[in-house]
Amino acid sequence: MKISGAYTLPVNQDRAYACLQDPVLLAQSMPGCDQLVAVGEGEYKMKMKMALAAFSGAFDGKVRITDPDPPASFRLIVEGSGKVGFMKGEGLLRLAPAEAGCEVSFEGEVHVGGTIAAVGQRLIDSTAKMMIKRFFDKLAALAQGDG
Amino acid sequence: MATTTITKTEPLVGKRIRRREDPRLITGAATYVDDIKLPGMYHAAILRSPHGAARIAALDISRAAAHPGVVAVFTGKDITGVGPVPCGASLPGLRVPVHTILAQDRVYFVGHPVAVVVASDRYIARDGVDLIDVEWDVLPAVSDPEKAIAGDAPAVHPEWPDNIAFHHHQENGNVDDAFAQAEVVVKQRITSQRLIPTAMETRGVVADFQTGDKALTLYSSTQVPHLLRTLIALMLGLPENKTRVVAPEMGGGFGSKLNVYAEEALMGFVAMKIGKPVKWIESRRENYLTTIHGRGHVDYFEIAAKRDGTILGMKLKLIQDIGAYHQLLTPAIPTLSVLMMPGLYKFQNIRAHVVGAFTNCVPTDAYRGAGRPEATHGIERMVDMLAAEIGMDPVEIRLKNFVANEQFPFSTATGLVYDSGNYAAPLMKALDLVDYQGLRAQQKKAREEGRLMGIGISTYGEICAFGPSPATPAGGWESATVKIDPTGKVTVMTGACPHGQGEETTFAQITADELGIPLDDIHVIRGDTAIVQYGIGTFGSRGTAVGGAALYFALQEVKAKLKRYGAMLLESDDVSYQGGQCVCNKTGRTVSLAEMSGASYRAMKLPPNTSPGMQVTNFWEPPNFTFPFGAHIAVTEIDRETGAVQVKRYFAVDDIGNIINPLIVDGQLHGGVAQGLGQALYEQAVYDENAQLVTGELMDYAVPKATMVPWIESDHTVTPSPVNPLGVKGVGEAGTIGCSPAMVNSVVDALRPLGVKHVDMPMTSEKIWRILNSAQA
Repeated sequence: MKISGAYTLPVNQDRAYACLQDPVLLAQSMPGCDQLVAVGEGEYKMKMKMALAAFSGAFDGKVRITDPDPPASFRLIVEGSGKVGFMKGEGLLRLAPAEAGCEVSFEGEVHVGGTIAAVGQRLIDSTAKMMIKRFFDKLAALAQGDG
Repeated sequence: MATTTITKTEPLVGKRIRRREDPRLITGAATYVDDIKLPGMYHAAILRSPHGAARIAALDISRAAAHPGVVAVFTGKDITGVGPVPCGASLPGLRVPVHTILAQDRVYFVGHPVAVVVASDRYIARDGVDLIDVEWDVLPAVSDPEKAIAGDAPAVHPEWPDNIAFHHHQENGNVDDAFAQAEVVVKQRITSQRLIPTAMETRGVVADFQTGDKALTLYSSTQVPHLLRTLIALMLGLPENKTRVVAPEMGGGFGSKLNVYAEEALMGFVAMKIGKPVKWIESRRENYLTTIHGRGHVDYFEIAAKRDGTILGMKLKLIQDIGAYHQLLTPAIPTLSVLMMPGLYKFQNIRAHVVGAFTNCVPTDAYRGAGRPEATHGIERMVDMLAAEIGMDPVEIRLKNFVANEQFPFSTATGLVYDSGNYAAPLMKALDLVDYQGLRAQQKKAREEGRLMGIGISTYGEICAFGPSPATPAGGWESATVKIDPTGKVTVMTGACPHGQGEETTFAQITADELGIPLDDIHVIRGDTAIVQYGIGTFGSRGTAVGGAALYFALQEVKAKLKRYGAMLLESDDVSYQGGQCVCNKTGRTVSLAEMSGASYRAMKLPPNTSPGMQVTNFWEPPNFTFPFGAHIAVTEIDRETGAVQVKRYFAVDDIGNIINPLIVDGQLHGGVAQGLGQALYEQAVYDENAQLVTGELMDYAVPKATMVPWIESDHTVTPSPVNPLGVKGVGEAGTIGCSPAMVNSVVDALRPLGVKHVDMPMTSEKIWRILNSAQA
């Protein structure tokens, strides 16, 4: 499933790029994220809880950042699996100056499998959008607070 | 001995008698597999692949095995002595992947069983499944059958990179000539989507291995207990005479339980390993992922005709979605579509080519109609499209091309011999019932008002009573035993294993009429291989047409034996059997069935060349299939705002030969129409591009609810079959087969003012809304 969108962070582009690479800020912003531990250059281990339709479950996952081109773009790869199935998302995030700060636009694909695919596929689109919005809302607040 | 006046009892065959099995079913007194609770029984849960294709890089069961309450965990390494899941169908050049009961180093579809956890209760077993650690090396998968064979798809089985399971070709007459002479050729790609059979009761198995006797009893929700016994014994290496299969009450099969499944052998294996009974009940999500699916056709049809509507010939390229493996009959199903592709029409030139395509999906196999709904959908759509093309009424074109009454028995273009028919009769009756001319006038008015009203006709033909043994993979005969107790009570044991078709009632009606005894004196037993003689099973609308015929012949034999005892007891050579007694034609003295039966067991004296006891078993081989037919008419109206298809009226006039019980026949047809309507309007098993099933539960897979099924007005014409002594043809699948083309023809007819020529199923409101909006734009 393809997803895309854009969000404006109320900070300048350099600050926005730095926030998006900061494991502490990311962990605090990702809905349901319990833990985000750096395991290598641009690579993190993640534990998160996710709820979809009638299902909720813990996911163990990996977050990787590749093709960094600060402060313009990077590629984000998120993989997770748990008892209720697995998910894999990959997307390119582009940053550009905007009137109110920095516009972060993204374009990517999400795949899910296992029970969450069989049961919740029709809700994935809206759930993903909701989670992305929450993520940016939180990140925006935190980025401003720290800045 | 009594001397009573013989009164002719009214025959029960042909009467609307309520099903004798229903009271226990509707009061919760029936025993299904899940109701079986054996002492010391364990419970199993199965770890299944979450991926369409993957290598198992590592599999660690240690945490599961150590979990309190878990008694055993088995994986692919443990089952190497168990034979593969069998494919019973054979075709030249058929590629049969080895289908082990647990995955070895690789999984081929989502739901593929990988390991089994056995525990003291179901919940612990399920928890144990979550404690198995698997490292998957995920591989690319393919779910679309056309993409699978296009040449650049991932290989489902690495040994066959083209994903082709088989080719099957059939050709009769001179197709090239027919197309060369044609004044009009109509071509259409028609899909018959993947469907999920959705029996109300999912599958379930209880396996009980008696360690002392080294004998296995397997309770399974199966349509074919004897075939299952034979094949399970072979898979597990057990002597067949130490293997017993019991099919208890069943909550629906529709072909999905006409199979031998990995889990059936797996539970047998587990019970033998742990020496304790074990139960596995399939969850609904497992059912959707791992019980066979139906249909899965992409059909390219071409029909050649003259401008006057005379059909000259037909071509078909059929791509069958096989799934990852062959189940029991998988490759045979599309060959049935080829056999029935001429429908009720007399043209003699056909060419069909079937390609079986492996996909990373659960296997397809027989589902209500099994190959014939696809064929009927094809021919009935093509005939309608042809009629539209040449501006002919859909009724007229059918009447013009029907096999004529004097042509029976009729040899079809595909090599079948249609037994009997009067194809115009149900159509004319249906037209009369709906007031066809009146409806067309209403339609004209509706169109003037801008409303979208459609009238769809399908005249279906159907192949039933499977079948002559040479045409079926495991024998096509059926068996019946009639046993009369010393007290005169009658037990019928049928090898056909009916499971909801009402034969406990209809077989009792046949028996009551033949023996002239009350219905309540007759008990019909099925489904236990330790009690019932070998049988084939119930599928392919064969229960009554083959099993009932076997019963009829057994009853004739038992009557003859009763008569010999009657003659002995009456000390007369001139006796006749009627009304439950033997009567001496000279003196009028009578002897009752109980007296004759009692005398046969007491055996103080025996009639000449006659054995003691009153039990007869008959195995009957049918000389041909039977071929029911009928006409269904659907009147629909489409909501322009929402695209919803409303069925205004639905008519079914079926000719299924003689009718044993009209009430049961109505029920069969109504259920069949409901399933056909499900395919036409709502149902579709959807796999995404990674071969994940996204319609994985009843929230996402739209089985029609009672409120979604229209009132069905039904009637019959009766053209008895000469194939069996009952003159019956079979009714189990007719409703489904007749329905979907009537529905699509109706919707296309409604959309015709917008230039629409074809709509593929399911005709969901979204699909129709999109058509309406693109057409209006």
